[in-house]
Amino acid sequence: MKFFSLKIILPAVLISIIPFISTFSAFAAGHGKIVIGHSACLSGKYAKAGEQAVGGIEACVDWVNNEYGGITLGGKKVPLKYKKYDCESKKESVTSLIGRLITVDKVDVVFAPYSSGLTLRGAPIAESHQMLYMDHGGANNKIFEQGFRYAVQTIGPATSYHKGTLDMVKKIAPDAKKVALAYEDSEFATMVMEGAKNHAEKLGFEIVFERTYPKGTTDLTPLLSAMKAAKPDFVLGGGHFEDGQLFNRQMADLNINVDCLSLIAAATLPAFSDALGHMAEGVMGPSHWEYGVTYSKEAAKEKGKQWIGPSQDEFVSLFKKATGDQKMLPDYHAAEAGAQVLAYVLAVEKTGSTDSDKVRAALGDLEFMSFYGSWDIDDSGLQVGHSMVDVQWQDGKRVIVWPESAQTGKPCYPMPTFDEKKDGKKALP
Amino acid sequence: MKNRLSPYYPLLPVFVAYFALFLVGRNVEGTWQLVATLLFYCALGQAFNIFLGMTGYVDFGYVAFLGVGTYGMAIAITGLANFPQLGLGIVAIGFVLAIIMATLLSTAVGAVALRLRGAYFAIATIGVNEGFRFLIEGANLWNGSSGMIFTAQLNEILGRDLASRVMTLWADILVLFIGALAAVVTLLYMKSKIGYALTALREDEDAAKVMGINVTKYKITAFITSASFAGTVGAAAWALKTPYVFPPEVFEIHYTIEAIIIVMLGGAGTLLGPLVGALIYGVSKYYLSIFLPGVQLFIFALVIIFVIVTFPEGVVGVIKRKTRNTAIGQYII
Repeated sequence: MKFFSLKIILPAVLISIIPFISTFSAFAAGHGKIVIGHSACLSGKYAKAGEQAVGGIEACVDWVNNEYGGITLGGKKVPLKYKKYDCESKKESVTSLIGRLITVDKVDVVFAPYSSGLTLRGAPIAESHQMLYMDHGGANNKIFEQGFRYAVQTIGPATSYHKGTLDMVKKIAPDAKKVALAYEDSEFATMVMEGAKNHAEKLGFEIVFERTYPKGTTDLTPLLSAMKAAKPDFVLGGGHFEDGQLFNRQMADLNINVDCLSLIAAATLPAFSDALGHMAEGVMGPSHWEYGVTYSKEAAKEKGKQWIGPSQDEFVSLFKKATGDQKMLPDYHAAEAGAQVLAYVLAVEKTGSTDSDKVRAALGDLEFMSFYGSWDIDDSGLQVGHSMVDVQWQDGKRVIVWPESAQTGKPCYPMPTFDEKKDGKKALP
Repeated sequence: MKNRLSPYYPLLPVFVAYFALFLVGRNVEGTWQLVATLLFYCALGQAFNIFLGMTGYVDFGYVAFLGVGTYGMAIAITGLANFPQLGLGIVAIGFVLAIIMATLLSTAVGAVALRLRGAYFAIATIGVNEGFRFLIEGANLWNGSSGMIFTAQLNEILGRDLASRVMTLWADILVLFIGALAAVVTLLYMKSKIGYALTALREDEDAAKVMGINVTKYKITAFITSASFAGTVGAAAWALKTPYVFPPEVFEIHYTIEAIIIVMLGGAGTLLGPLVGALIYGVSKYYLSIFLPGVQLFIFALVIIFVIVTFPEGVVGVIKRKTRNTAIGQYII
C-alpha cells in the first residue's frame, strides 16, 4: 500500500506518543511541592493583561520560595510551584486546560484566566472536581451570585470601581450634587456604572444624566452635547482606552467643563496623557492598584491587620526579574494576581492543609494586607476588603489621590477648565 | 442485505471515531475536557461542512447561528426558571428554541445573501454576526450588552448535582450526538437528490441551472440545515456547558475561521473530513499550548501550512482519491 507512506505514518506516530510524554512530564512536575495551576492568557485578546498576571504570580512565587522560605505545612517548609498553560484567551482552551491541570498535573489550586467570561467558563470544571478556583481577573459581581462554592475573588468587583471617587467628592466638595454617567455599552462598563449609580444615590447625589454609547464609536459629540445641557458637577464615564480618550478629547472640543472627570480603564494608562497632553490634566481614573501606593507593614499594623508579601519596590523588582524586561512596570493585573498567591499561602498555612475545602474555609476567615492593599471576602467569595485607588493626572504625572491611606498627593478639585489647561494651567491641589 | 446497507458504510469510521473519543475521554484520566473540546470542533466542522463542503460557498457569518442558538437555550433557562417542575424539559425547550432561532436567522440571511455568488456571498455574510451582536446590544435585547449568567437558575431547575453533571459531562455528550447526527444528515443528503443537485451547483452553478435544477432551493436547504445544527452546537457547547452568554463572545468571528480551517484541513465535501480536520486542529492546538505556551500559535501556523501543502484537497480528500476502487474506499467518501 503505497499510500501508507512516511508522511502519513510519521505524524500519526508523533501524535500517538504525545499523550504519554505529557503524562510523564505531568507526573514529574508536582512532586513534594504545592502547585498553583493557571490557565493563563499569554496570547489572544487578553495577552497584555495575561502577561502582567503571569509576571505578578511568578514574582510572588519567587518571594514565597526565596524570601519567605516556602509555605509552612506540617512543620516543614514546602516550596511553591507555578504551572501554567496558554489558553489563548479562548473559552474552549480554558476548559480543556483546567481539566488537565486538575486531573493530570494534580495541582492544588487553580487560578482563573483573565476576564469575567473566561473565569465563568472554568468555574463549573473546578466545582465538579471540588477544586479551589481563585479569580484575579473576573470583576463581574454576578460570578459570585451563581452559588459556586470554590470560587474566590481577589480583584475588586466591578460595582466598586467608582465608590472611592464618589466618597472623595462627597468629602472634599459637599456642595457637589449633580453627577452624569456616560459610558460604553459593554458588560464591564454597565456593571461598573450600576455600582456607581447605587453608591451615588446612597450618598445623596442626583443622577442628572445617564446614557450609553456603542463599543467602537468614533463620535460622542451628540451624547456630550446632551450631557452638557444637564449641567453636571462631575462626570463618571468611559469603557476602554480608545473611547475614554475620545471622550476627553471631545469634551475639550465642546468646552464642557466639570469639576471632576473620572474615566474607567483609560485615564490610568500612561498612553492617555501621552495622547492627550494638557487635555488630560486633572482627569481621574479608578484602578485596583498603581505603582506608588503606600500600603506597608506599618499601615497594616495601624489597622490591626496581618501583613504578608514583598514591599511595593521589592514586588516591582521581582516582577522585572520574572518578565526579564527591566523597562516593564507591573500594573494592577500583576498586583492582583500576585496578591492572590499571598492569600493562598496564608490560607494554607492557617489551615495546615492543601485540601480545597479547608483552604476555602480558611480564605473565608482571612483578612490581611499586602502591597496590593487589603484582602477580605464575603461568604460568596466576592472580594469586599480591597479598595480601589483613584489616580489623577497632575502636571503630567499620575498621582494617587484616593483613598487617603494610599494617597501620594492631594486631589485637585475642581480641575482646571479646558481653556485654563490650554493656557498651561496645571491640575495642582 | 449487504447491498442495501453499503451506502451507509461511510458512517462506520465516523461512528467508530466518535465512540473511540468517548471511550478515551471516559477511561483515560484527565482527557475528558480535551475530548469535549475535540467534540465541539468535530460538531462545528460537521455542521459547517453541510453548507461549505456541499455548495462551495463560504459563509463568514456562520458563528451568528451558534450565537443565536446559545441565546435560545439561555432564554429558555432564564425564562422558565420559575417552573423547576419542568426539569430537563427546559433543556429540550431550549434546543427547540435554538433550532427555531437559527432557522429564522438563516432563512432571513439566506433569502438575501444566497442570491449572490462566490466572493459576493462571502462579503454579504461577513457582517451578519457583528450586525446581530449590535442589534442585541443596541436594542437591549435579552439583557443587551450585560449578557446573561444563568448557572444559578440551572442549579435551581436541575438541582446542583445534576446541573454540575450537565455542565461537565452531558453537554459534551449532546455535542457528540449533534456531530454524529450532522454526519448522518450529510450522508443522507449526499445519497439523495439534494446531494446530486448541490454537487452539480458546486461544480458549475450555471450549468446546473440550465439542467433545470432549482439551485436557490437546494442552497437554502443546505444553508438552513447547516445553521440549525450550528444553533444546537451553540446551545449545548456554550449555553449548557457554561451557562452564560456575553454578546461579544458568542458572535466572535474566529469561530467561523476555525470552522473553515477544520473543514479545509480534513477535506471539504467529504463525510469524514470535518472529523479528521477537527482532530488534527484540536489535538495540535492543545499539545502545542502545553509544550510551547506563548509561542504555540506561531508553530501552529506552520503545522497548518504543512498539512495544507501536503494534502491540498484535505487529508480525507487525498485518502479518498488514493483509496478509490479499493476495499477501504467504500468507507471513505
